[in-house]
Amino acid sequence: MKQVEDSEILEKFSNIKTRDEAFNLLLNKYQQKIYWHIRRLVIDHDDTDDLVQDVFIKVWKNLENFRSDSQLYTWIYRIATNESITFLNKQKQRNNTPLDEVSGELEETLVASSYFDGDKIQMKLQKALLKLPEKQRLIFNMKYFDDLKYEEIAAITGTSVGALKASFHIAVKKIETFMLNEDITF
Amino acid sequence: MEENLENSEWMKGIKEAGFTTPSNYFEELNDSIRARMITERLRASVPVDGHTVPPNYFEQLQLNILAKTAKQITASRQTKIVRLWRSNVLKYASAACFVIIAGMGVYFNINEQKATQNNNYTETATEQMLFDIDEEVIIEHIEANYKDQQKPTAKETALENYILNNYSQNDLTGNL
Repeated sequence: MKQVEDSEILEKFSNIKTRDEAFNLLLNKYQQKIYWHIRRLVIDHDDTDDLVQDVFIKVWKNLENFRSDSQLYTWIYRIATNESITFLNKQKQRNNTPLDEVSGELEETLVASSYFDGDKIQMKLQKALLKLPEKQRLIFNMKYFDDLKYEEIAAITGTSVGALKASFHIAVKKIETFMLNEDITF
Repeated sequence: MEENLENSEWMKGIKEAGFTTPSNYFEELNDSIRARMITERLRASVPVDGHTVPPNYFEQLQLNILAKTAKQITASRQTKIVRLWRSNVLKYASAACFVIIAGMGVYFNINEQKATQNNNYTETATEQMLFDIDEEVIIEHIEANYKDQQKPTAKETALENYILNNYSQNDLTGNL
């Protein structure tokens, strides 16, 4: 199935008669990508479900005012990232959790989740990721799972390409060390 | 001979002439290659993350989002804006009432302030005048007024006799 271009979505959205069609096209194109992007950050399916709906409601409300000086998918990813980080911060505040113990809570959620059927090595990788600082985890996910370019990640996170590369390299080293310590060879 | 030319310092200079790299490029290149090798190996073992979703989740998600946006559209259509000023007559009448009430308020406020100010001036002036008059003049004035008052015609001894003759001691002590 041919992917519809963002420019076509925007053009259709600007016309009130084709607005609903445009939003349907946008959902078809991005809802799964955005779901997985959020899911990898907040881990829990139900939390992700709430967040992904909030993100697309925001997109729907603000798409009319969207300026084409940034790319549509970058803009949607940015909203999703901000919503996820805000959610995680609220969770920390609500549970009065120190920053270094957040990974423990997310790990518990991962282990208890009925929507994770990864094997041993997948579970280890997820646990290794949860040991990373939030920003490194975000960058690693976008590079490794979403296969985004550094320039695209830079546009989403508002970080320079140089800083992103450094963060990614550090994250990869930490993951390798964690996996080797857990006797996982790859 | 050709090999020697390739390795000579002079030839290296030719190769690099005019080309530059970002600062610390070669230091970072090493890290980049290493990170790339690790991720390639890791990707071969862990191509996906292992997270799953309930069956038909994405179909339902799309419907849920569309339902929410439809609800928003309905809500925005139902929110009618009621005009406060339906006609110009009502608008001008309200404005006139406001001006009258505000004008009356200002007028009475100014008058009240004036009255208060006048009272304050009178009291201060009287006090100042009394302060300026000599004490003896005031005493003489009071005595002169006291002399003008009506005095009893009977003398004090005649009054004593009258009381003693007409009232007993019990009457006098009882009335005290």
